[in-house]
Amino acid sequence: MNSDTPIADDISPPRPAAASGSAPTSPRPTVRPIGFSRRGFLTASAAGVTASLAADMSAIQGLRGEAIASELKRQDKRVILLWLAGGASQFETWDPKPGTKTGGPFRAIPTNVAGIHISELLPELAQRMQHTAIIRSLNTKIADHGTAAELMECGRRNDPGIRYPDIGAVVARELGRLESKVPDYVSLYTSTEGRRKGTSGFLGARYSPMFLSDSMTPANILRPDSISATEHQDRAALRDALAKRFTAESHHLAVDSHQSAYQRVQGLMASADLFDVEREPESMRARYGPTQFGEQCLIARRLVEAGVPFVKVARAWWDSHGQNFETHQELCADLDHCMSALLDDLDERGLLENTLVITLGEFGRTPGINASLGRDHFASAWSCSLSGMGIRGGVAYGKTDEEGHKVVEGEANAGDLFATILEALGIDHEHEYMLGARPIPLSDFGSKPIREVLA
Amino acid sequence: MKPNEDSPADDETTTRVRLPETVKVDKTVNLPGIGFCVTPDENPSTILLGMSDFAIHRLDFDAEKPESRPISEARHQSYVTGIVRSGKTAVSGGYDGALIWWNLETGEIIRQVDAAHAKWIRMLALSPDGTRVASVADDMRTKLWDIESGQLIADWGDYQLKTPHGYPSMLYAVAFSPDGHWLATGDKTGQVLVRDPADGTVAARLETPVMYTWDPKARNHSIGGIRSLAFSADAKTLAIGGMGKVGNIDHLEGVSRIEIFEWESQSKLHEIEDPKYKGLVEALRFGPGDQWLVAAGGDHGGFVSVYNLADGKLAAQEKVGNHVHDFTLAPDGESLITVGHHQAVSVLL
Amino acid sequence: MCRLVEPPSLLPAIPAMRTCRFVVILWIGILCGLSSPDRSVTRAEELLSASSDLPEAVDHYVQERLDRYGIEPAPIADWQTVLRRTSLDLAGRIPTAAEYEWAERLPESDRRLAIVEHLMSLSDFDFHLRNSLDELLLANNPHNGEFRDYLLWAVRSRRPWDQIFRDLMAASSTDGPEKGAVHFLRSRVRQLDDLTNDTAILFFGVNVACAKCHDHPLVDQWQQDHFYGMQAFFSRTFMTRRNVITERPFGSVKFKSTAGEEKTASFTFLTGAAAEDKSPSFSDDERKRLEEQLRKMEQNENTGYVLFPDFSPRRELVELALQDAEDRFFAKNIVNRTWQRLMGLGLVDPPDQMHAANPPSHPELMDWLTRDLVEHRYDLRRLVRGIVLSDAYARSSRWASSDTPPSPSTFALAATKPLTPRQLATSLLVAARAPQTDPLDANSDASPWGRLRNDLENQAGGWVREFEYPTDPFQVAVDEALFFSNNERVQNDLLRDANDWLVGRLKATESDEELIRTLWIHVLTRQPDDEELATAQAWLSRDSTERFDSIRSLTWALLAGPEARFNR
Repeated sequence: MNSDTPIADDISPPRPAAASGSAPTSPRPTVRPIGFSRRGFLTASAAGVTASLAADMSAIQGLRGEAIASELKRQDKRVILLWLAGGASQFETWDPKPGTKTGGPFRAIPTNVAGIHISELLPELAQRMQHTAIIRSLNTKIADHGTAAELMECGRRNDPGIRYPDIGAVVARELGRLESKVPDYVSLYTSTEGRRKGTSGFLGARYSPMFLSDSMTPANILRPDSISATEHQDRAALRDALAKRFTAESHHLAVDSHQSAYQRVQGLMASADLFDVEREPESMRARYGPTQFGEQCLIARRLVEAGVPFVKVARAWWDSHGQNFETHQELCADLDHCMSALLDDLDERGLLENTLVITLGEFGRTPGINASLGRDHFASAWSCSLSGMGIRGGVAYGKTDEEGHKVVEGEANAGDLFATILEALGIDHEHEYMLGARPIPLSDFGSKPIREVLA
Repeated sequence: MKPNEDSPADDETTTRVRLPETVKVDKTVNLPGIGFCVTPDENPSTILLGMSDFAIHRLDFDAEKPESRPISEARHQSYVTGIVRSGKTAVSGGYDGALIWWNLETGEIIRQVDAAHAKWIRMLALSPDGTRVASVADDMRTKLWDIESGQLIADWGDYQLKTPHGYPSMLYAVAFSPDGHWLATGDKTGQVLVRDPADGTVAARLETPVMYTWDPKARNHSIGGIRSLAFSADAKTLAIGGMGKVGNIDHLEGVSRIEIFEWESQSKLHEIEDPKYKGLVEALRFGPGDQWLVAAGGDHGGFVSVYNLADGKLAAQEKVGNHVHDFTLAPDGESLITVGHHQAVSVLL
Repeated sequence: MCRLVEPPSLLPAIPAMRTCRFVVILWIGILCGLSSPDRSVTRAEELLSASSDLPEAVDHYVQERLDRYGIEPAPIADWQTVLRRTSLDLAGRIPTAAEYEWAERLPESDRRLAIVEHLMSLSDFDFHLRNSLDELLLANNPHNGEFRDYLLWAVRSRRPWDQIFRDLMAASSTDGPEKGAVHFLRSRVRQLDDLTNDTAILFFGVNVACAKCHDHPLVDQWQQDHFYGMQAFFSRTFMTRRNVITERPFGSVKFKSTAGEEKTASFTFLTGAAAEDKSPSFSDDERKRLEEQLRKMEQNENTGYVLFPDFSPRRELVELALQDAEDRFFAKNIVNRTWQRLMGLGLVDPPDQMHAANPPSHPELMDWLTRDLVEHRYDLRRLVRGIVLSDAYARSSRWASSDTPPSPSTFALAATKPLTPRQLATSLLVAARAPQTDPLDANSDASPWGRLRNDLENQAGGWVREFEYPTDPFQVAVDEALFFSNNERVQNDLLRDANDWLVGRLKATESDEELIRTLWIHVLTRQPDDEELATAQAWLSRDSTERFDSIRSLTWALLAGPEARFNR
């Protein structure tokens, strides 16, 4: 999938040939009211509108236009990002240092892959290491929450004047299918601390996440009570019919995107059930457990199963400045159980081979243990994990020194991780977006994928 | 551990009834790690400590150059969080789930029970007659062991393994009443059980929900829990220590909190919150004569506070070095020794 | 907006050459060896006379290019389109029905001028210019009340653009109407890179960010020295604990050049002109004492004093930028951005790439407008008025011929511009309210229209976050469509059943045709065509639905339609 000659990709979607060519020159149709009965109205207008919109949508969808792109999109690849907001400790998860001054009280336990030990706080994940590659050698340097989160979400820092898209927006753009009736980037972040919506940056609002915070029902996805279902659909058809004149006369991609946004409304409204875990059997809900994170992991599975290419589930807040060990006993148990349930469930449904599960936060935590038995922010030597699609499972890549102060083997930065994720999905990380005259590669200049963790 | 060995066990002890007016740091000794628990050795100026280097240390405050040293090459396999002494035998417990019996004269291990608990042992308490040791751990079980034989005498599992929010709970604190008739335990969610250690009958259940510190909205976890327990000499009053409501649970920035019950009737006598010194109340002891109560703990910094039990009001208080994890109060109530983050401190009252 | 097809003669085929990880794009400009800043093509004496009318100059130069490419531009748009476009661009909202009826009665020959003069006389104009500047200057952190108050004051008091720049750079904390200007720096003061780049981008049209780590990969003339030279002007700026912006009396920017050499940046403007460091030199003791004072100012809330050194690098920057008579970065930038706002595409595009390798589409016009702006004391009103009175502005946005439309940079047809969140919110409210007060009677803020417009401005603030600020390329988010489709505010506010609101008034209209015509004028500033009329009549006569529900749905269908979302 990795081409030697990256293809520059103007982020302005190409103009739909069909849509622009037909309308302005077509002779004015004879005046005819469009149906009188409700059914008549719907059939007459909606059918025509749908046909012309299909053309619009596929045009906006024709982001890359190349065979590779459509091949990618057909493979139904998906990503679930488990975002450990606040920064989980590598010592208490993927890179334990038991018995050292910095190691804390917890032991390392063997996993089902010989030679790999992880913290005893992750006993269930330890039995599922065949799916997972650990990266123990992140050195991302930035250790304040906001900037580090931006770095790890986007794989690089924003340059002044350029707002980069985050991994969700990039995946939505590269893998999303516009004809799909589900959202292509969903972001769940319920806790208020460090809440970040995610950003589509220069890719534009089209790739902004559907963001769920306080409620697991997406905003404005349910029909208001004040209007009946039929009237709601009929007026949408009327809107489409009346929009035709303007859309046909305009030569503007933003106008097309307006139309396609409305075209997605009914589909998205129909997908509201995907967010409702009550629709899962009790036994399945029990597997994920009663915690909020468990429920949201289950929602994530429902979403990817329905074809949503990118789902982010944020589990906040790991910022254990005080009582690091208590915090990790609580939160690691949550991560261990929910992520294990998710991996099992995806595996059993045959989804794991085309779903990449990323477990990542904005940074790790200090080797030093402070007087409140806490660990502070640390970005010089920390860990993350990748599981499932495109990943060589059972690998622990990179190494930190004995007490975890620095990386001694396989150092990787945010750009390298980004490149690795893209390559795992079969997306050429050197592929370039053209932002005006500026070529911007998908992963940062100079970044390299970590081949050792790729299948 | 918060054992009651400091309380006057026999009537001849001079009972101090005067309310301390000051808390004064006498001597600070640096530790080569974090001291989690302490018990006095036979010589009253010497303490035994459980440490973050997995070892039991001994430290003599009267030495010319006081230095904390392991009593043995042998160690636990994790942090040592509970220690009691009965005569020349000490029993320690740690995050490795093991209990170890030590010969204090030779430093040799007498006995080791590796899987005393399935999870991390949080505290030990010695029965006043010195024959039993109680242990609590995150497997949410309370166990009673015979000091002499090492036999498991009782094993009570009446706490919920999970918090109401579905997370692993923790059983932090245990204390015997000075008459040996009652054993109190307290967990993360603020549940206190007072039982008869003879047959395990639960005589009272108390609740201190504020100490749970569960934050459902901003950070979706907790860091509190009941961290300390102490009975009065007459065994009627039970003091419970932890942390009050906390805004940002990333830090130990809640007010330190103590609730004092007349436990049999379940009536709350005092609810004490100290806005000046924040953090956890890690250890509690009643002063001789049950007139006052000493509390210690902290956030990054440590504190020792004395409260008048007549009105629940603060009598004396001082910042004491780094975060204090435990202390031992001299039987005369004139002094105490704290252990904590890289420091042990002797304090005069 | 993106170029559809470029006119042949302007466009070199872009040879893409790969060096390292950069694509180096070579324009004709570079091939011709133009390496100096954009002082290209034309000298002042070759320009049309300065006394020419501004709209005439615009049309002259736009036409000149069209002639050169042999392009026949789109005709002038119908008066309804011109009214709507001008109202959105000058008043930040669609016209009211009263304005529609008034404009209809105007004689054709006077109409455009009368519309422009009417709109520029309203408080609407001040609000909208303020909003446009706010969106430009505080793009990442808009809606700061104090900053908006400052801008409104500046616009109302006809403060020239160079003076606004002085205010923003001075960031004075003294009480007075200029006070809110401090937020331009305050919102960026913690990030020196942002301070440097945003100032360069927003006031000089130059993005030097890529020159931070290496000389600019695309632009020969931008080198590390330019980046750090610009940064030097801000490197001493800091904010005290009491949020006062001031500067240190010493300090310099050091950087490592690509050759690995340690360099100290001097206060150097983009033109290469440098300011001398006139700070006094301090003894070690003095410096130590000052540093302690500075530390207190920065960290201690109770520090009552603030030092303002006599030598201010930021003031030097302002002087250098305004003295720049050759390249005129400062004046060109605001000409370009104003042109972009009104015409949909900058003369230089993108607007932060004003350099020799990216010349203006109409260099002479850029020069003429720049000269005119400077000669008329940076009067933005004059510039705006001149542009909107040109024929180029008033063209139709439709391309009737079946040929592919020419490049937007020829301005042969009008651009279709997405509304900004404020334009959209205010327009929706104007449509939904169907105001009975008449903007034509407005002679002061205290007039009924002035008061209503003030209310609308405030109410619009509650809606703006529902819409994305248009970026380029802009694509409407599905969230917006969901909002319009399902949010109760749309149902309850925009479609409110009240006698003096649009839906209520339509309900009271007995004739369907009259109702439909009224609706179209209120929402779309035009009459329905026959097909639309027939469709709407069919809709209203559905047996199955209450008439009122049908009226609401019909109104919704227009408010949620593309024509209400764009300015064309």
